[in-house]
Amino acid sequence: MTISDERKRQGLDLLSEKMTGKLRTHLNSCVHCGLCGESCHYYLTYGEDKYLPGHKVDLIAGIYRRYHTLMGRVAPSWIGAHDLDDERIDEMIDVIYGGCAMCGRCTLHCSVGVDISFLVRTARSMLAAMDLVPASLQSTVDAAVTTGNNMGIPQKDLVDTLLWLEEDLHMEPGFEHAEIPLNRKGVNVLYTLNPREPKFFPMSISAMAMVFHAADESWTLSTDYYDVTNYAYYSGDDGIAAELVQRLFNEAGKLEAKTLVLAECGHGPRAIRWEGPRWIQTPYPFRALTVVELMAEYIRQGRITLDPAKNRETMTLHDPCNLARDGGVIEEPRFILKHAAANFIEMTPNRENNYCCGGGGGQLAMGEFAERRLRVAELKADQIRRTGAKIVVTPCHNCIDQLMEVNKEYQLGVKIKTMAEVVADALVLR
Amino acid sequence: MGTIIIDEREFEVDGDGFLQDPHIWDKEVAQLLASHDGTGELNDVHWKVINFIREYWLENDMAPMVRALCQAAGIRLREVYELFPMGPAKGACKIAGLPKPDGCV
Repeated sequence: MTISDERKRQGLDLLSEKMTGKLRTHLNSCVHCGLCGESCHYYLTYGEDKYLPGHKVDLIAGIYRRYHTLMGRVAPSWIGAHDLDDERIDEMIDVIYGGCAMCGRCTLHCSVGVDISFLVRTARSMLAAMDLVPASLQSTVDAAVTTGNNMGIPQKDLVDTLLWLEEDLHMEPGFEHAEIPLNRKGVNVLYTLNPREPKFFPMSISAMAMVFHAADESWTLSTDYYDVTNYAYYSGDDGIAAELVQRLFNEAGKLEAKTLVLAECGHGPRAIRWEGPRWIQTPYPFRALTVVELMAEYIRQGRITLDPAKNRETMTLHDPCNLARDGGVIEEPRFILKHAAANFIEMTPNRENNYCCGGGGGQLAMGEFAERRLRVAELKADQIRRTGAKIVVTPCHNCIDQLMEVNKEYQLGVKIKTMAEVVADALVLR
Repeated sequence: MGTIIIDEREFEVDGDGFLQDPHIWDKEVAQLLASHDGTGELNDVHWKVINFIREYWLENDMAPMVRALCQAAGIRLREVYELFPMGPAKGACKIAGLPKPDGCV
């Protein structure tokens, strides 16, 4: 595609703006050992050089060398410097958006410690500055900006759904007085949602309401800003990413919540908890943690009691990349499953070495690259199949949707569940 | 983005298999899409859900909440996932000929 010089300039300006010591160091450090290839589910699937994480580094490092080093200006070909031309831009869109899940597995395994996903995101930021975010991903970002949630759910529809769920909950024995409180001030927990829950898969909301009820928690949902996702993290647009975090930050302040609890999601907690304070340049005055950690805390403190015998089917765990490898929430889901499931089997590899489900990095939203997304998931399908498990539990709604498709595509015959559902099923009320 | 061929009929679809042009949809297309994704033969309850989704979309330019379609079709939440193994979005909405919704679906 032909990109005007002015737009190219915007991409290069973005790179200059982001040029910190950290970025410079990572851009200069790849030693081209190629070991990253074996970490990457794209490279392992296709075996093509273009998917090598090191090659993705080169795409942006070449541009850096061309415009930010003396040698790059006078003798570019000697040092692998490369113009930001139309061809390079096409290549970047193809693999930086379409061939990387920003799962960070290569970063963990890099022989010299290059933060490859940080460089990929920086490259995405350049593309975003040139207005080149794939349309489907951009439309999810736009929905979040203009409507307050990434699926464009009108507030009335949300409220109707939550009231309906609460009514339904009252029919469950032991939950006759369980609540789904809305916009309540001064509570301990402000809970968040992936918009996909109220829109299409609300069982996890009911499940969490049951867990909160059993733990006797003071909690609330906001009907203004509740979206735990932040697709601008994946599009690369820091301005919008900050805006989305700011809204949740303000909401927690408005409702005077002591704890912001992030729903089952990978990139959301990554964006909100770890990148957020830097994006909005304000430390959080409240505690922010994931619902997985919160449920583990409930068990540890004896606030909820679980009976693993209530979940007898063999169960395995898929670690969401942003939550486990990049967010350190690794032992908590295992601790929970030890208490909530009778037959838990690890898939191999697991924990920080787990493979991406294929849906990360915004891939699930990007229909443009859907064929690749399913093909690279064969690794994950094999991992699941080898466990022989009947249920795959994963604390991320994005992973869940991808795994539902993987389940069908590779005929795994498993059920896919959220962590909250598994915990709710195991609850013993006192 | 791509084409799929079901029973010798060719459809332009996006990467996720949603119809590129939602307006070519009719009942025959719905049944073909349902056979293609493993939903199978559409029964009266399927049709209640699909027709509601279709009408809602034509009026509001977006997919309905799962609550609304349960209430309109007179079914319990659990039944939606049994009726449409691919779920309300990639199952029911796709069969109803809607474009792919934004977000984690």
